[in-house]
Amino acid sequence: MSDFYQTGIITTLHQLGKPSLERLESELHGFSRTRPVALVLPALYSEFEGPAMPGIVRELSKVKYLKEIVLTLDQASEQQLEMVREFMAPIATEVNIIHNNGKRIGEIYETLGRNGLDVGPPGKGRSAWLAYGYVLARAQSSVIALHDCDIVTYSRELLARLCYPVANPALDYVFCKGYYSRVSNKMNGRVTRLLVTPLVRSLQQLVGQHGFLVFLDSFRYPLAGEFCMTTDVARVNRIPSDWGLEVGSLAEVYRNYSPRRVCQVDIASTYEHKHQALSADDASKGLMKMTVDICKSLFRTLASDGVVFSDGLFKSLMVTYLRQAEDTLMKYEADATINGLEFDRHEEARAVEAFAKAIAMAAQVYMENPMGSPLIPNWSRVGAAIPGIFEMLQTAVATDGK
Amino acid sequence: MTEFLNLMLEPLQEVFLKFKSFLPNLLAMLVILLVGILLAKILRIIVVKLLIAVKFDSWSDRMGFTTLIRKGDVWTKPSAILGAIVFWLLAIVTLMVGLSALKVAAIDQVVGHFFGYMPRVFSASIILVVGYILAGFVSRAVLITAANSGFHYAKLLAETVRVLLAVMTLAMVMEQLKIAPNIVIAAFSIIFGGIVVALSIAFGVGGIGVAKRMIEREATETTAEEPKDEIEHI
Repeated sequence: MSDFYQTGIITTLHQLGKPSLERLESELHGFSRTRPVALVLPALYSEFEGPAMPGIVRELSKVKYLKEIVLTLDQASEQQLEMVREFMAPIATEVNIIHNNGKRIGEIYETLGRNGLDVGPPGKGRSAWLAYGYVLARAQSSVIALHDCDIVTYSRELLARLCYPVANPALDYVFCKGYYSRVSNKMNGRVTRLLVTPLVRSLQQLVGQHGFLVFLDSFRYPLAGEFCMTTDVARVNRIPSDWGLEVGSLAEVYRNYSPRRVCQVDIASTYEHKHQALSADDASKGLMKMTVDICKSLFRTLASDGVVFSDGLFKSLMVTYLRQAEDTLMKYEADATINGLEFDRHEEARAVEAFAKAIAMAAQVYMENPMGSPLIPNWSRVGAAIPGIFEMLQTAVATDGK
Repeated sequence: MTEFLNLMLEPLQEVFLKFKSFLPNLLAMLVILLVGILLAKILRIIVVKLLIAVKFDSWSDRMGFTTLIRKGDVWTKPSAILGAIVFWLLAIVTLMVGLSALKVAAIDQVVGHFFGYMPRVFSASIILVVGYILAGFVSRAVLITAANSGFHYAKLLAETVRVLLAVMTLAMVMEQLKIAPNIVIAAFSIIFGGIVVALSIAFGVGGIGVAKRMIEREATETTAEEPKDEIEHI
């Protein structure tokens, strides 16, 4: 059982005692009459061949309060699309599949491109963004929840707890991020533990109590891929198409809404999904790529809010970060020891070294091009540029589904 | 025996002679078809490049033409579609010109009819395009006006206006193409007349009370004395 301490400037909704799932779902069913909920699932075809997806489908088939499920399928052929459709058949809720590699959706991306709307390369960011557009086009739901499709320990309680704060009109939250402990026989979640938190705190040391840094530091798991928001948030938020998706999305929420209307919720006692290799020597893949993208996103967000980055600041940041990360590492070692968890100090230290290298790379990229790749435009702008885009998107998905 | 052979060979000779005189026409037709289709292909490339250069695709996206063609499950670029239309139009014209080169009376008549019909197709296309743009424009104007006036069913009203204008445009197009003109005009009159009568009856019967109240209020307001302005303005 977790404590009830409120950290930071956003609300933290803990899992206290053993809340009844039936009560949560029954209340959600009531809320869904006025605030229908859409679930967005960005998935690769390979995930349907993995161990997680059967469990997710089994759990989702028991959920009654969802209005619709929008699955954005990537890296799948026409034949594989059919197989996915059959795979999703046990779910009673209406499931619409956006086939990202289909010719119709491909033409939609081209339409956006020729109108000067850069939606970036394929990836979770672009898939999630398109799914939001589809939910907005249908205008059937007023709440959007999103989670990954590689959660091996998935239970419908995760979804219920994720949706509840935004779906409940009495709570008045517009954005809710999930958090959970990433513990198996050891501590996982290296990027959050050893990069994001020490980096944010180092930046706070150097640039002072910046609002966004305080906001970001308030999240227990800022890189969690599970979140829920109102459709208004989905309409006005821009998102990065790379690994900076989570940090970039939080930056947009911070920019557009008061932290009072943002919360984080404990959604699972255990959480297991596929792990990325560190690939310390290759910054173009694995955790290194993710790390560089996250750092770039963080630097650009701060710069857009008036923080001046210079060579000197970056040099100091490297030293401050290393000190912060080493201190953090010691804290986690103690935490692991008392809980009888495995803790490979050498591996953790190697990760810190690799992350330091990634920060330096991100700093260099930032200094060379402070603007970087633009965020995916929000749907308000897309609708203004191409008035018929929502209709087009609906036609594409409906025809693909026939 | 010779007579019999002559009897056999004469028709063959006649056919050969006819074919001999027909062969240049056939060759002319084949050359026309070959050159025409080649020209059509070149023109298609030029048209597509020109349309891309003037950003026709983006313009279509903004005007809603792309959405319209997507509804018909056509997922190629608008410029490519227009290029294909130009190609097939030229291919058909080439075919007609080629057929007329055969100098066969029956075919000549068909070709004559075809070229006589072309202006109608052209004007029908213009009516269709202008009608579509106008329907979209008027519908959006109705939507904005009605929404700004606080009308609850603004979207429904705008959509109704769009559908009515689309029906009117289609009726005009079909009339222009002379496709069952009597039926089209009759059907159009019945539908439009029916809607207007239905609206008149609905408003007339349902709105008696409202109209009465409005007239009474108007009458009372005009007869009532204007309140004296006691504030002296500077």
